[in-house]
Amino acid sequence: MLILKKFAQDKSAVIGFAIVVAVVFIAVFGPWLAPYPQDATMSHLTRRLRPPSWAFPFGTDNLGRDILSRVILGARGALKVSLLVVGASMAIGVPLGLAAGYSRGWLSEAIMRVTDVFLALPQLILALALAQLMGPSLESAMIALVATYWPFFTRIVYAETRRLRASLFVDALEGLGASPTRIVFLHILPNAASPIIVRATIGLGFTILVAATLGFLGMGATPPDPDWGLAISQSRTFLPGAWWYATFPGLAILVTVLGFNLLGDGLRDIMDPRLRRSR
Amino acid sequence: MLRFIARRTLLAVPSLLGLLIITFVMIRLVPADPAAALAGDNATPEQVAQIRAQYGLDQPLPVQFLKYLSDVARFDFGDSVYSSRPVAIDIVQRLPATLELTFAALFLATALGIPLGVVAALNHNRWPDFVLRIVSIGGVALATFWIAIMFQLLFAMKLDWLPLRGRSSVGISFAGGPTGFLMLDALLKGRLDVFWDAFRHLVLPALTLSLGGIATITRFTRAGVLDTMQKDFVTYERAVGYPHRRLVWVYVLRNSVVASVTQIGLLFGSLIAGAVVVESIFDWPGLGSYTVNAILTADFKVMLAVTLLVGVIYAAVNILTDIVHGLIDPRLRDQA
Amino acid sequence: MTLTRREAGVLSIAALIAATAGAKAATPGVMVRSDNQPLNLDPHQVFDVPMMGYSLNAYDTLYRYLDNPPKLTPWIAESHTSSEDGLIWDFKIRPGVKFHDGSDLTAADVVWSFQRVLKIARAPAAAFRPILTAEQITAPDPSTVRFTLSRPYGPFLAAIPIVAIVNPRVLKANEKNDDWGASWLASNEAGSGAYKLDAASYAPNEKYEMNRWDGHWYGWKDNPKPVQKIASRTVKETSTGVLGLLNGSIDMTDSYLPTDQVEQISASKVARVEKNVSARTFIIRMNNSKAPFDNINARKCFAHAFNYKGFIEDILKGYAERDPTPMPTTLWGFPKDVKGYEYDLDKARDYFKKAMAEGAPMRRPIQIHIQNTLEQTNQAAQLFQSDLAQIGVNLRIVNDTWANMTTNTAKPETSPDMWVHWVSTYFADPENWVGQMYDSQFHGTWKASSWFKNAEVDELLRKARGLVKQEERAPLYEQATRLIVEQSPDIFIYNTVELKGVSNRLSTMRFCPVGSGTEMRWVQMTS
Repeated sequence: MLILKKFAQDKSAVIGFAIVVAVVFIAVFGPWLAPYPQDATMSHLTRRLRPPSWAFPFGTDNLGRDILSRVILGARGALKVSLLVVGASMAIGVPLGLAAGYSRGWLSEAIMRVTDVFLALPQLILALALAQLMGPSLESAMIALVATYWPFFTRIVYAETRRLRASLFVDALEGLGASPTRIVFLHILPNAASPIIVRATIGLGFTILVAATLGFLGMGATPPDPDWGLAISQSRTFLPGAWWYATFPGLAILVTVLGFNLLGDGLRDIMDPRLRRSR
Repeated sequence: MLRFIARRTLLAVPSLLGLLIITFVMIRLVPADPAAALAGDNATPEQVAQIRAQYGLDQPLPVQFLKYLSDVARFDFGDSVYSSRPVAIDIVQRLPATLELTFAALFLATALGIPLGVVAALNHNRWPDFVLRIVSIGGVALATFWIAIMFQLLFAMKLDWLPLRGRSSVGISFAGGPTGFLMLDALLKGRLDVFWDAFRHLVLPALTLSLGGIATITRFTRAGVLDTMQKDFVTYERAVGYPHRRLVWVYVLRNSVVASVTQIGLLFGSLIAGAVVVESIFDWPGLGSYTVNAILTADFKVMLAVTLLVGVIYAAVNILTDIVHGLIDPRLRDQA
Repeated sequence: MTLTRREAGVLSIAALIAATAGAKAATPGVMVRSDNQPLNLDPHQVFDVPMMGYSLNAYDTLYRYLDNPPKLTPWIAESHTSSEDGLIWDFKIRPGVKFHDGSDLTAADVVWSFQRVLKIARAPAAAFRPILTAEQITAPDPSTVRFTLSRPYGPFLAAIPIVAIVNPRVLKANEKNDDWGASWLASNEAGSGAYKLDAASYAPNEKYEMNRWDGHWYGWKDNPKPVQKIASRTVKETSTGVLGLLNGSIDMTDSYLPTDQVEQISASKVARVEKNVSARTFIIRMNNSKAPFDNINARKCFAHAFNYKGFIEDILKGYAERDPTPMPTTLWGFPKDVKGYEYDLDKARDYFKKAMAEGAPMRRPIQIHIQNTLEQTNQAAQLFQSDLAQIGVNLRIVNDTWANMTTNTAKPETSPDMWVHWVSTYFADPENWVGQMYDSQFHGTWKASSWFKNAEVDELLRKARGLVKQEERAPLYEQATRLIVEQSPDIFIYNTVELKGVSNRLSTMRFCPVGSGTEMRWVQMTS
């Protein structure tokens, strides 16, 4: 209750939460909300590059498709990609971090050295190269993003586990003869949950951003996917005439990512007092 | 302490080796066959095979890798399979442009981020703080490629205030100077026209690249200042009536930017990576546009060299940050 | 207080920047091209459209294509003779031609240049390697070059202009590891052309500059106001190049101008769009070795499902000429009586049913690969996708690169289901199109990537290749083209109208499809 009350007082976190709820709503009900849902694939050559109007509030693109509809339809893909990428990164990164943090000696060393190698790689360049390696498509972009994002979770979980490992209650549990698996999953993991949740929330926004960048550089989503990054990339040929074509998909990215970041920031304040911004 | 530094640096060696292995194996497995592209539009399969042999592309991977290691040790990255020019020369030629852009963005981020952070802290929990918080979180949420295009659209296409692309105008003839930094060279040779031209070309890319950094530094400065404001010496000085503005902008700031300084170091690494997108949109002739082009054309030697270079810069910055942290907090020294 | 002061500062900087804007008047005598650069500057290593934009200016050739349709014109060879059996070709070298270093261009230099092409064995060599070895090129006297072919070869003369003549003295001085000067020439120049490269200005994939050369053998009497300096800049985004054209900082764009920009340029007072019917065919390939494309009814279904008229008239705004064949409409050997296929979804549905009845898997997802840097390939694929969706075909678009695709087309199993590309004029001979695209001996090259095999077509094309006289070859190519269209191995869309944005400072653009009108010596420029 106290947490909810504190959350409600944090204006920007509430805004973030509202945005995220709205984006999720649009992603789920997109096909029913979009004025022209068939414009995901259909082209209408006779109404190419129309400026915004009542019929097409965001204008139309180079194949005569309604941009508002495509922005709405693009939300689902963006969320799906980021959820899958962050979920898979957690599935890889969290157990590794727990293992590295709880054990001592070569296993811990090995895991953290490999993590360091991946953290030392420039993420965008690595993702681009990987996407090229596997043939440019949304799937390879997602694999590339997971390959570059899991180490962040390993790092955080490792640090938390190390800290908790040294604490009294773990010593006590060990003394009572609890198995390491039990200690790690029942006692350490719940205590390390808040930084993971915060990281995951911000990671969702961040992944949307990087996935859009890959789409923009031609290494991510492929047509006719109503991907926001891809739309911006295609719009460049029609500038400066068709300014609306580049503008609205970009605003969609901005608002969505902003929502996740505001929410993540608010969560951090509540869950992790050590990182409080308003100490 | 010296032992700590030595250990920390040694620990980077397996990381760097891992970096070499990963990038090499990964990029060497790219399905696009550089030999086929190299042979050209009308090539026969035999010609392709001949070129593959000529560049050692038909050797087993471990052999190619060992050869690559010995080459890297001599700072020889081989010839680009596309331009047939030594990759090392292209990198040396293009590095200054990227550094110029990165330093300009770093400067902007610091020059704007620190004052904004202080303003936010001084107005803690009032509306300027709230606005700056949204803005600084928004700065991180901006898609660089989109804001770059928006800047181009507004300032170059619609208003025609600033150049759209490139690093200098065509009509300008300037042989360059000793540093490779165009603005600096222009000043050294007393060419104000070249300097101004270069400056105008730099504004949009540097601003685009700096936005994320401005946001980050604003937030860290704000947190640092808030922290310091609650320290005893500030309360004391306030109590004795020391001029408020001088207190904040000199003493508090000096005590709180330490945290931001490490952040600035880290930022440098991320700016170099961010340059990939910014450079390719503004046709900036640096390493970033070079990399994107290499990736699009599967020029694996260039991809290896650039990934390695940026990886080394990352690693160096990481070591440096760890050492600085070790200096501040001795407890961390036995953990590394 | 602090905020307002900073605001004032920011505003004054903005005002300062704005005040000096617009100070980009074009420089007299300097012509700026926004164009793609070749991968490197050696004309014997690279041979593509951007290379021709460079080599036509820096280098000379024995014969040269001029005007539209391209006419084979004596250049540094004054004339040629060939033996009755088409095996021995003698070229008479023009006296008094000089290289940029001042030395004379002799028959021996021409021999050395052709030998270098064969030795380096890159793109331009493909046209000669089947019929020529280094020993078969000789100089019987200082002004005669003799080629002794292994067998008669129809396209021989047509392919002669693709070989640039280089200066052996300069290259031998810069040779390392027996590379025939290849690594040096990649960023330098050793030619005799009308323009001389300023090697210091060369930055790969970014820029190069060339200065007019007074000593060119052709002289400059025909051109009172020549371009003094060519500054080439790589502009990756076309819309950027267009804006440069409008504000005067760029004088000439590449020849792939999107039709949506045409209106904007035409409306301006400073620039115009040059429109030329070229010889560059636009094609969607089908992999005939894979189901369902191994079924002729399936292929015809696809051929009827592309909206040719909508694509050409609405998307390209009419700036293209419908071409129902793989041959350019303007070239000899084009069969004028061929109707081809029209957009008709009902017919497509009929063929769909027939193909299904014959067991062709028409409902399997089909992948079409596009070239990620060329927006038009994407537009064509997206248009196709939405029409095919209506008849129940699921088309997936895959973003791809030229390098990747030319690799994957080496084998039938790695070749994409479908892909989109142009076939430009490398040499003006039907061999450049039908010859290399549908003779099954070229399987494994990107041009033959539909894996089409038809004994009758093979025979016709091989017979035409072995003949020398155009009037004997033409009917063979026409017949082969008819057969190919009947078999519908690919989807033939249009012959290009090349669109190039040009500053009004430039006149007498002497357009030729070979090189896309980038030979600058003809161009006159006012300041």
